[in-house]
Amino acid sequence: MLELKHELKLSKTRDEKARMNFVSGLRAHVLNDLANGMRAVYEGDVEPGFRRSAGRAPKDGPEVHKAIKPNEYFKFYSSLRVTAQDMVWQSVFPPLERNRDALKSKAAALSKTKRREHGPERQSERGSLTLQPGFEVPRYVSAIDVHLMAGNYDGEYEANDLAAGALYDNGLAVFSFGLMGQNLDDIGQSIAGFIRLKYPHLKPRKILDLGCTIGHNTGSWKDQFPDAEVHGIDVAAPCLRYAHARAEAQGRAIHFAQMNAEALDFPDASFDVVFSSMFLHEIPKKGIANIMREAYRVLRPGGLMLHMELPPNSQLSAYDAFYLDWDSAYNNEPFYKPFRDLKPEELCRQAGFAPKKYVQFVIPSVGWYGEKVWSEAATQPREVDNDKTGRLTDGILWYCFGAWK
Amino acid sequence: MSAARKTSSKGASKPKAKAKPKAKAKVKAKAKPTAVADTPSRQPMRRTIRGGRPYFFADPAIDKLLNMLVVLGSEVWTLRERLAALEAIQIRQGGLAAGELDAHEFSAENEARLAAERKEFIDSLFRILQEQVEEARRR
Repeated sequence: MLELKHELKLSKTRDEKARMNFVSGLRAHVLNDLANGMRAVYEGDVEPGFRRSAGRAPKDGPEVHKAIKPNEYFKFYSSLRVTAQDMVWQSVFPPLERNRDALKSKAAALSKTKRREHGPERQSERGSLTLQPGFEVPRYVSAIDVHLMAGNYDGEYEANDLAAGALYDNGLAVFSFGLMGQNLDDIGQSIAGFIRLKYPHLKPRKILDLGCTIGHNTGSWKDQFPDAEVHGIDVAAPCLRYAHARAEAQGRAIHFAQMNAEALDFPDASFDVVFSSMFLHEIPKKGIANIMREAYRVLRPGGLMLHMELPPNSQLSAYDAFYLDWDSAYNNEPFYKPFRDLKPEELCRQAGFAPKKYVQFVIPSVGWYGEKVWSEAATQPREVDNDKTGRLTDGILWYCFGAWK
Repeated sequence: MSAARKTSSKGASKPKAKAKPKAKAKVKAKAKPTAVADTPSRQPMRRTIRGGRPYFFADPAIDKLLNMLVVLGSEVWTLRERLAALEAIQIRQGGLAAGELDAHEFSAENEARLAAERKEFIDSLFRILQEQVEEARRR
């Protein structure tokens, strides 16, 4: 299990650490070993059976899903994956519940501190937190426990609560079994760094991260572009409170604000980069269209919109489409498949971006592959790799798409 | 939305029965330190998933048993890590030499006692099968 490396880290007993280690190991086993096993069972058993009765191979994810559903291996894989997912959060609750006072006082102290570990030349720079009393959280967040996380991002259990943010941070550390980086920022580091390498002339003054939750991937933009003013917005107050304290603990000046990405409070043409990660797949289609339009509106001409996401079904084999859609059917991710059924280039065009300004990247995880392979990708474009793109597995590759305004 | 609702409605009546005692037990065991917290309006965090969870086997009891087995596996692992920590501390403090635990042989007396206890343990593990045997013998 990955240990968080900032001051908000929960104190845990020896047994609590061991339980987290177990769940991380279980997840790695399910998502690597059992996932490979399920593919073998599909290829050797399920798919040939389908061919015998239908005279052809399954044409898409839903057909694969229907064919594999009665298979015992699928049932064990799925049941164990749900159990592991639940155990991720259950392993965090006991230490989190015990640490809630300590967490609150640490967060309060951090938002007052002036210490800067990163970039000592910018010691005067501070981050900020802006919440909106009476803010209305959209139903697609307030009504479900996404990825089986009880309480979701926005659950609050006392005044000025930030426990949901801590649940997410500590849960991700268990969930990701090391594949999301030592600071859970591999997505941000891989992508922001890639953009800096690929476009050396890009000098963003203002960067916006949409649906930033605890800001774990927002900070990477500050690291890569230290002169830029970096903003992160989200609808969930407890995550934002935690994000602010977390960024201060890490010495990064980030401005967090409670806002709905569908209706941003920022003026037109005010940002050079608008980014999101693992965000659009949690939004219904209508909301996605609004978000894309808002991204277009707040971008300056020449600015870049970039969304890190799961790869679209149109770029995956039938089996791999099924494999990623599993979450939509069984992991409380109701908008995950509908999003992945959309065509990213059309989403950009509909929002006002010129088709020739569309971009798509498949970026090797800098943590997994190391700097050499990762940096080479800036000059050697990669296609979507069915087995590894957007999938939490050994050799992970991050997918992102967007457009220049 | 429909996918989540569909999967959850399948076991909607049952998961609560399973989830509740588990959550209750944990709250009982762990909530005490927070009871002295200075915030009277603080609620414990909710630990059960809204809408329940999906089940995959024809009988959801199999999914639930599998879950129990894995949770038990987690506790077995936790004990092993604790034992490893204890052994490491003992070695560091000089109470145990490296490899001493693995090389340890029980005395004949200890061995006999352990053998009896092991037999008792195994009997109790499979006691449920014995019930059927005893019923058959009574007939």
